[in-house]
Amino acid sequence: MSGLKIDDAKIKEAIETISKYGGEAVVKCVQCGACSGICPGVRVGFNVLCRMLIKRILTGQLEETLEEVSTWGCQACNRCTEVCPQGVRPMEVVFAFRRYQASELALSTSAFGPQMSLYNVGHAVTISPEAVAENRKKAGLPETPPTALNNEQAQKEIQTLLDNSPMAELGIF
Amino acid sequence: MEKVGLFLGCNIPFRAPDIEKAFRSILPEFGIEPVDLEGASCCPAWGTAPSFDLDTWLSLSGRNISLAEEKGVDITTGCNSCFGVLSEAKHMIEHKPGKFDVVNEKLKLIGREYKGTSKIYHIMHLLYAIIGPEKIKEKIKYNFEGIKVALQQGCHSVWPSDVYEVKEENPFFPIHLKTIVEATGAEAPHYSRIEDCCGMGAMSSSDREKSLQTFKRKISSIKEEIDPDVVVTGCSSCYLQFDGSQKVLKERGDIDFEIPVFHVTQFLAIALGFDPKLVAGICQVSRDEIVKEMQSEKRLVK
Repeated sequence: MSGLKIDDAKIKEAIETISKYGGEAVVKCVQCGACSGICPGVRVGFNVLCRMLIKRILTGQLEETLEEVSTWGCQACNRCTEVCPQGVRPMEVVFAFRRYQASELALSTSAFGPQMSLYNVGHAVTISPEAVAENRKKAGLPETPPTALNNEQAQKEIQTLLDNSPMAELGIF
Repeated sequence: MEKVGLFLGCNIPFRAPDIEKAFRSILPEFGIEPVDLEGASCCPAWGTAPSFDLDTWLSLSGRNISLAEEKGVDITTGCNSCFGVLSEAKHMIEHKPGKFDVVNEKLKLIGREYKGTSKIYHIMHLLYAIIGPEKIKEKIKYNFEGIKVALQQGCHSVWPSDVYEVKEENPFFPIHLKTIVEATGAEAPHYSRIEDCCGMGAMSSSDREKSLQTFKRKISSIKEEIDPDVVVTGCSSCYLQFDGSQKVLKERGDIDFEIPVFHVTQFLAIALGFDPKLVAGICQVSRDEIVKEMQSEKRLVK
């Protein structure tokens, strides 16, 4: 991190952006590192999560971190939230950062499939209808589950909610 | 509790409907009727709306919860992601300033309303706190004495404890799943990585190698420290990881063993005497041998 210049305007912008996306407790962080010590993502090399991500935000390095992939490896497990002595809720800061990244379309193309699928059939995780039917037959269940999967009205409701959200402007479904 | 709304999610009804069958089989045995939440969608999963827009997440989860409210029932689920997403959404809608109104404004577009009248229970919490180990003991047909279980509670049933309806006394030393499993007569010893992550979830979808590395550390610890007959998970995603990734690691020569895996509802369904073909018939690691042992005649409770 050689040559990092502390720029008050950039710090303010970073904190405001992350707060706007739901990570407003980020300012309470004292960089103790309890979160990173217990983070399964940090352990396997998603280094810019928890303490390190928060440090980037609190030093105003928002754009410099825009393309970071660690945030997309967060398990959302919330061990960090449980141990944080400051009430930062680091996982919510990570997700606020994801929302910032998503608003700039700085995300892997592999993230698009689930959004499309959620929009089309109401489920992010899907397999072919034939495989669903076959699995369900094995378990002695009706081939169609009582979910949104084959429910046009439910799908319309989900599409309405998504069409009227900022997600609609990203062109991901 | 006489009825409960069954929130299925995606993986359970599509990939592992034998878990759904296990839910539908065991709940009536304990005097609780599972009620379908017709038209329920994805919770929505962490990698979807929660990663894009907070209010969209809360309104999609709010819609799902409102389906249960309409029927006057609480919700139960066997997927920790669904449980975490719905519980956190409920907590935010009801406690984060302004969110209750924002969500209801969105839901008005589809003629629905979020009231906040339905509670959300993980099936482990329902079994532990509402049904209780004594009732489980009363109902089992096969006693699992001598069967050794490795417990896999899963992340989103314990943390963050402030948003969940039923809490562990010590969220880093969970006892709910252990108590349920031990009610069948089985033993469930401690092992050092018991509260480690299994590596499923975003880690798996964004970097499969990191996920397998995380899983290998855990499954090796289980094998070396307690050498169990089965793994019992509280979470359907953990279930898919334990069942599917042992195969992958074995084929690569990274491990030289396979341990059969059950979701807790399947484990109980077998103990209650249900047909294993229906309640535990879809898997990568064969459960045939251990199921035969679990439902052997000598184990019948007289």
